[in-house]
Amino acid sequence: MTSARKRRSGFAKVLAFGAAAALGAAACGSSGSSGASSSTTSSGSSSATMKTGPGVDAATKTITIGDITALSGIASVIGKPLDAGYKAYFDSVNAKGGIDGWKVSFNTLDDAYTPQTHVQDYNQMSNSVAFIGTSFGSPTTSAIESQAESAGVMLATVAQDSAFVNHKINLVIGTPYAVDVANGLYYLIKTKGVSNPKVAIFYQNDAYGGDGLKGFEAAKSAYGFQDVGHATYNVTDTSFTAQATQLKNSGAQYVVVTAIPTAAATLIGTAAALGYHPQWILQGPAWSEFLMTSTGTSAGKPTAVEQAMVGAWVLGFEAAWGDTSVPGMNDFLAVQKQSSPTQIPDGYYMYGYCQAQVQAAILKKAIENHDLTRAGILNAKENLGSFSWGGLIPDANYTSSNGPASRQTDIAQVDLNSPGFLKIVSNGFIESSAAKSMTFSG
Amino acid sequence: MTTFLQLLFAGVSLGAVYALVALGFTVVYRASRVINFAQGGLLALGAFFTSWLVLSAGLPFWAAFLIGATTTSFVGWAFQTFVLRWALGRPEFTIVMLTLGLFTILNSVIPTMFGNNPRSNGDTWGSRALHSGGVAFFWVQIWTIVAAIAVLLAYGAFTRFTRYGLAMRSAASDPEAALAVGIPLRRVYATAWLLAGLVACVGGVFVGGYPNSVSPAISDAALLAFPAIILGGLDSPTGAIVGGFLIGIVQELTQGYQPQHVSFLGNNFYIIAPYVVMILVLLVRPYGLFGSRPAERL
Amino acid sequence: MTGTFSTGVPVADLEVAPPPGAGGARPADTRTLPPGWGRPARLAVIVIGGLTVPFWAGDYWLSTFGFVLIAAIGALGLDVLTGRTGQISLGHAFFLAAGAYVGGWLGGNEHLTAAISIPLAGVAAGLLGLLTGPAALRLRGLYLGIVTIGLVYIGQYTVQTWTAFSGGSGGRSLPDPKFGSLNFANGFSIGSHLFDRNACYYYLAFLLLVLAMLYVHNIGRSRLGRDMTAVRDRELAAAVLGVNVARTKVRAFVISSALAGISGALYGSFIGFVNPQTWSLVLSIEYVIMIVVGGMGSLWGPLLGSVFVIGLPSLLQRVSGSLPFLSNGNNQGVISPTDAADIAFGVLLIVFLLLEPRGVMGLVHRIRAAAVKRSSGRPVPGINTGGSE
Repeated sequence: MTSARKRRSGFAKVLAFGAAAALGAAACGSSGSSGASSSTTSSGSSSATMKTGPGVDAATKTITIGDITALSGIASVIGKPLDAGYKAYFDSVNAKGGIDGWKVSFNTLDDAYTPQTHVQDYNQMSNSVAFIGTSFGSPTTSAIESQAESAGVMLATVAQDSAFVNHKINLVIGTPYAVDVANGLYYLIKTKGVSNPKVAIFYQNDAYGGDGLKGFEAAKSAYGFQDVGHATYNVTDTSFTAQATQLKNSGAQYVVVTAIPTAAATLIGTAAALGYHPQWILQGPAWSEFLMTSTGTSAGKPTAVEQAMVGAWVLGFEAAWGDTSVPGMNDFLAVQKQSSPTQIPDGYYMYGYCQAQVQAAILKKAIENHDLTRAGILNAKENLGSFSWGGLIPDANYTSSNGPASRQTDIAQVDLNSPGFLKIVSNGFIESSAAKSMTFSG
Repeated sequence: MTTFLQLLFAGVSLGAVYALVALGFTVVYRASRVINFAQGGLLALGAFFTSWLVLSAGLPFWAAFLIGATTTSFVGWAFQTFVLRWALGRPEFTIVMLTLGLFTILNSVIPTMFGNNPRSNGDTWGSRALHSGGVAFFWVQIWTIVAAIAVLLAYGAFTRFTRYGLAMRSAASDPEAALAVGIPLRRVYATAWLLAGLVACVGGVFVGGYPNSVSPAISDAALLAFPAIILGGLDSPTGAIVGGFLIGIVQELTQGYQPQHVSFLGNNFYIIAPYVVMILVLLVRPYGLFGSRPAERL
Repeated sequence: MTGTFSTGVPVADLEVAPPPGAGGARPADTRTLPPGWGRPARLAVIVIGGLTVPFWAGDYWLSTFGFVLIAAIGALGLDVLTGRTGQISLGHAFFLAAGAYVGGWLGGNEHLTAAISIPLAGVAAGLLGLLTGPAALRLRGLYLGIVTIGLVYIGQYTVQTWTAFSGGSGGRSLPDPKFGSLNFANGFSIGSHLFDRNACYYYLAFLLLVLAMLYVHNIGRSRLGRDMTAVRDRELAAAVLGVNVARTKVRAFVISSALAGISGALYGSFIGFVNPQTWSLVLSIEYVIMIVVGGMGSLWGPLLGSVFVIGLPSLLQRVSGSLPFLSNGNNQGVISPTDAADIAFGVLLIVFLLLEPRGVMGLVHRIRAAAVKRSSGRPVPGINTGGSE
């Protein structure tokens, strides 16, 4: 024991020496890093009036955007088409000469949907990008939010959780999950005129599911329906007999499903075999075209659950793929054909495209203001005002007050003959009173 | 009552899946005293490959199933022949870690080859079900139960009535003595791994049956089967089957009744119910219900 | 094997590559130092090299190194249990989680200084180890390994159910450590140099890892360490020789989980946001890979293993642009860097177990022994090279 104690004090000396040496080295270390950042600023100041920040190279007129997304792992099913759509739009912008002559380039990293990798990826790019153009997922984005906030970096957040609509740095598009559910139930009770229906909810045991429940409760207090049951599940579950039986026994005629696609399909398939066929109301992420056929298009082999899925409602905020009565659709399809000819109709592809559109507009505004610093970009976002995606998703108004980008929802029905198996059944976008009055905290 | 029967049937069929997975563990454990952590990976490989053969290559289900099972058997055999044979006589920890290595590899190779999209398993039963007394019996679930029992019986017959079976049992009970009397240990181990691969494919295809689908997550099913093998005792095939069914029923009934009746435990208690049962059993019987306690010597 | 580091490794044989940035600080040649000085000199080089990392590493590598050092603390803990005492555990994620939530709750909800909250996170996890230890006593080998898997699921269930404490399934954010006026979120400046959040975490993890390694090193030389080795090598014989097997195992459990708790508290607040999925079995498996690849029962093995397990995916991600078979955001390769890294782990795990069961540390010893043999022609005492020449 004594020898151990002696050893410790010896080591302590070594440590103290090390610390002193480290402090001595501080001078050269810090001068090195500040040299790197000043070179960007000096090259920025060479271009007359444009103020530039990290990730903006005035010499080559290039803006680098960070892109942290899931290109591997289970979530890559969403991450890949989303990234393709996102880049397709910017590619088309670059091909037409860029945004007022400024080209956009990307620093893309795969996080496999794990928060730790997301944090590392963010750190890799945080000093060399103008903003984060895709921060994919909810737990992952939460992991970098505080860092991004203190650095003043705009985070384009690819998640519809209510949690992200109240932060200054988050750029959100589309409608939060909770609002979607409230609008969906409004459609059922007010538009379709079904009075006092029996409604139940099946939701995933996490923040996403909690958002679905929030919308469910808001609609219940606004429009009044019989709340006959709540069933939950976990992503690791393989059997849904208990939940399907519970819902069947509750007598629910309408079931809101806030789930992931495999879980939704398993529930609906189990229920169908039990002879239980309520009107399913699927939250957007519960839907995937791969639930219908092996390839996600009508050319593929039908899945066993396909028949049970037909007729289900899907809540969302996107126009139907290929509906050219929507003004923005033709441009969208042209870009898709040019950049990703093999892309099948997919809502996430369109979502990525729409994210890119609003980001290009923000950059355009920042360029007009001669301020491409991070603060300048955030400022451009707050002063963008109303923005339209030509009907691809609901218009939004970007101001300094926080809140969801949109409170509108459209309702599609699963249909074997429509592109992407979805047919819009609501008459355009719905914005219910419950959605209008919904508050977001945190 | 209908609800109870429905849940019971769901539990039995879930249990059949666990039993099939558990049997895969037991086969290897009985021959070489090693828990094969790669079983989940083999399971997923079999399910994905079979599904791919049906949906993308257009083979009939039974042919695809046969090829899939042959492939997983081959992978199991090859792993024993090219990797594990070099670890003969090493501590069990080393060998377990080797299987964990294979699991890690398979878990990344499978999505790389087949993608991450969930897919149907390509079976011929689809969503068809038998209805009786208000209870729905999916054909695929009925076949899962049949397959579990059939595999158990076949394995039992194999160990009892063939020379290899006998060799396997003697190899497990005392490898050195077995070698001394001329039992080809390597071939015995290779056969065990071949069988484990075969059982894995059967398990995988049934795990992915309607209304479930084949996704990379199904390798987790093997982890959920751990309580079953421990409960039954690692070296007992009967134990694997009984443990599997027991765990399936416990999990399903807990999920069906506990949230309403014992609500303070929350909505997720059913996930750990098998583990709670397992720990309680182990504290009383440290080698499971049917397992044998090895003699220890200095 | 426990003692390899401390038993008579000759002073002049370890070639520590000077980390970049430490070039000037390295003594001219350790070989010329008087006997007995070589090891302190080597340690000094490593420590100084380590301390300079924040000055030359970019943000990416600095945060990666931060994760490496944090994980090394936890891996060191697992090694006490598995490498030194021979108890297989796949439940490490459970204790990491306990540390993260206790640390986060004390720091975030109770606003305690990290000087209290991080040690208490270790204490809390250690207490959980104390509770589970006796239950684990009845189980041997693989049975124990599987029951500890149950621990992971029970941990996730607890986190999901005890929402006030953990944020439930939705997860919760964990605050950055604060020591008085020093908030890690803002970093601190010395002179004109800003030590940012990453540097703060790096230094804290560095300090705690050094302390943990000293502690574990001392255990290895104490009676407890010898008892652990005896239990690992032959439990029954140890019992016959008068080793209190039960107490030794429980103490190994407590030390292991306490270190995991400290590591978890740092890990959780460095990520900033945790949910039940963070603490899955995959995390436990990663720690097992770390200690096996690094070299079980050695002091430096856990650190080398975590360099490997955390560094490799980062490295592959980094080079994915120049290796065409790796996919990244710009090109469709055959395989994603993450999957490639996982396959590499599996392959390396197998290769190490078959060819060098003592892990990277074993390789270091071998290379060292070969170098000494070539330069002096004398055999190396105290090193068993496993008959590989």
